[in-house]
Amino acid sequence: MMMLRTLALVGLAVSVLATAAVSQPAERGVTATEILLGTTMPMSGPAAFWGTGVSGGIEAWLRSINEQGGIHGRRLRLVVKDDAYLPPRAVANTRELVERDGVFALVSSLGTANVFAMRDYVLESQTLWITPLAGADIWAGLRHKKYLFVTYPSYIEEGILLTSYAAEHLKTKTIAVFYQNDLYGQQGVLGVKRGVARVKGVKLVAQVSYEVTDVEVTAQALKLKESGADTLVLYATPRHGAMIVREIAKVGYRPTLVSTFTLLDPVMFTLGGDAWNDVYLTSYIAPPGTGDARVDNVLAVITRINPALARNPFNAVAGVSFVEAFLEGLRRAGPTVTKDRVVAAMETIRNWDGEVIRGVTFGPDRRQGTNRFAIYKAEGGRYRRLTDWYAYPTRF
Amino acid sequence: MTPWAQYVVGGLAAGSLYALVALGIVLLYRSSRVLNFAHGEMATLATFVAFTLIGRAVPFGVAVAVGLAVSALVGAAFYFVVIRPAKEGTLLGKIVMTLGLALLLGGAVQVVWGTETQIFPFPLSDTRVYRLGAVVVSEIHLGTIGAGLALMTALFVLVHHTGVGLAMRAVAQNPAAAQALGIPARRIYALTWGLASALGGAAGVLLAPVVYLDPFMMLDPFLKGFAAAVMGGMDSLPGAVVGGLLLGVGEVLFAGYVSFKFKTTLAFALIVLVLLVRPEGLLGHEYRRRV
Repeated sequence: MMMLRTLALVGLAVSVLATAAVSQPAERGVTATEILLGTTMPMSGPAAFWGTGVSGGIEAWLRSINEQGGIHGRRLRLVVKDDAYLPPRAVANTRELVERDGVFALVSSLGTANVFAMRDYVLESQTLWITPLAGADIWAGLRHKKYLFVTYPSYIEEGILLTSYAAEHLKTKTIAVFYQNDLYGQQGVLGVKRGVARVKGVKLVAQVSYEVTDVEVTAQALKLKESGADTLVLYATPRHGAMIVREIAKVGYRPTLVSTFTLLDPVMFTLGGDAWNDVYLTSYIAPPGTGDARVDNVLAVITRINPALARNPFNAVAGVSFVEAFLEGLRRAGPTVTKDRVVAAMETIRNWDGEVIRGVTFGPDRRQGTNRFAIYKAEGGRYRRLTDWYAYPTRF
Repeated sequence: MTPWAQYVVGGLAAGSLYALVALGIVLLYRSSRVLNFAHGEMATLATFVAFTLIGRAVPFGVAVAVGLAVSALVGAAFYFVVIRPAKEGTLLGKIVMTLGLALLLGGAVQVVWGTETQIFPFPLSDTRVYRLGAVVVSEIHLGTIGAGLALMTALFVLVHHTGVGLAMRAVAQNPAAAQALGIPARRIYALTWGLASALGGAAGVLLAPVVYLDPFMMLDPFLKGFAAAVMGGMDSLPGAVVGGLLLGVGEVLFAGYVSFKFKTTLAFALIVLVLLVRPEGLLGHEYRRRV
């Protein structure tokens, strides 16, 4: 009797489980009404300014899409976890997002060192990963990146372009680099070195680093002055970038300033003061307020939803540029959302223009969606575009 | 070639801030043996309060005074509400409580003021510079060094030449005997907590215009202040000052002539070195007394 009852219970359990398996949604993180996305960002710590701007921009943009009915009737929800710009916490957050929260896709994740730390885990977990914010060169030569799509530029190519542009147009003969002592800064330095190797008559005379936790850069400023370089290249956080330009001004050193696009936010005019004038920067998108009406419109939309983003306009708009191609992929994939359908749909994106990002191309063998920069100049509290787009070779 | 004196000036400016942080830590440690991990967060709170008031057109001096008063009140309140009732707890327990306070204050500051980097308006310019031969000193560096020295002197006078200071020293040496002699030990403890927090606040206000204002700005300065305090001797106020200045100058010289990458490591290497030679710290006494 006992035996029979046990058997009956087991049978019942099996049939319940089987039914549950059949009626379960086909894809993790996707329900009939919602698609769950996740990211880890520095919402605190030395890079919080980037993290709050970028994640705020993404969230506001998703909300504006939700207001218009979502994509094929599904709303998009973003879970943001704070990693304080610390790689170990970024890895832990990512594992949580994938294993506990069960997100459909990871979007962005900020910081070259952080992304590098989580790279193997995410690729092995075969989670859809949309535009990790890391110098794009860390993906070249890697296999198993079917679920990765990147519309973030390469710091190495940027360093090469900054160097050759400075040599050709800014009469640069000697270069110094001020950089963050991690993978982000080191890739910038590598780019400058490659640039110097390509351009005749330019020498790299100083490489001066800082740690993310440093609160003052006095010694660095003096060292840079001592180098006597006529051009200074910056690969830093907004805070350290602003600190160094003010500090070198204090000690009477005024080189031509050249910077990565990560310091493009107009907040630099506030943080750096007068010292942020006449800085030459790259950008891979048109920054707000430089004459691109669609970009300005995006900023208007996201600041209406979250007015605080007005303090962080470039980073917020950049946030939008990181997810646009993915949203297009979701649209093209149709109402049945699975990872593989989205991948196939994204691979059909060719020379596609979003509201902020332009000229995106993916394909079965191509995951590097964007490969261009233009040069901008900081003038009287605004940025002005100086050149057309420079394209660089795609590598993955 | 940059003159070494230029490095020293930069080091003194940073060092005087480390010294201010260290003074707050030491002041509290001397009297209660509690190492306050919330010191940095109290400083941040004071700075943000001042920042908000300045934004509402309150004169700079008043705003800073209110900011320091707020952090002093929080310090004193923490003593009365948490540390005092837990008087039977172990020292380690009290120290862990300060860690809790640090998390609480840090979170509150983030919620109220956000995590963005802000500019702290300061009456001194950091781009106006004075030249002494080949050495360049900015107005704000002069101000920082000057304000730091003034505060240190004031604290020294208070502790060594006033009745309150005498009471503070008495309570620090022997709380029971001090109380038996009619010294209100609890009030003196609360005063010490308040004073130490206000000192930290002053360091925060002087740091903010240089390093920018955000909820995490005291993270590194607190560590350095702690290092300076250990180096100078945890029970010695002059030791805290000497430790702070030495650390500031040492760091900048090390970065200038040896390596940037190990600049932060230097603080801890120096601690190890000093403690190997003088376990009580440069100007401390405690170790010998205990032996």
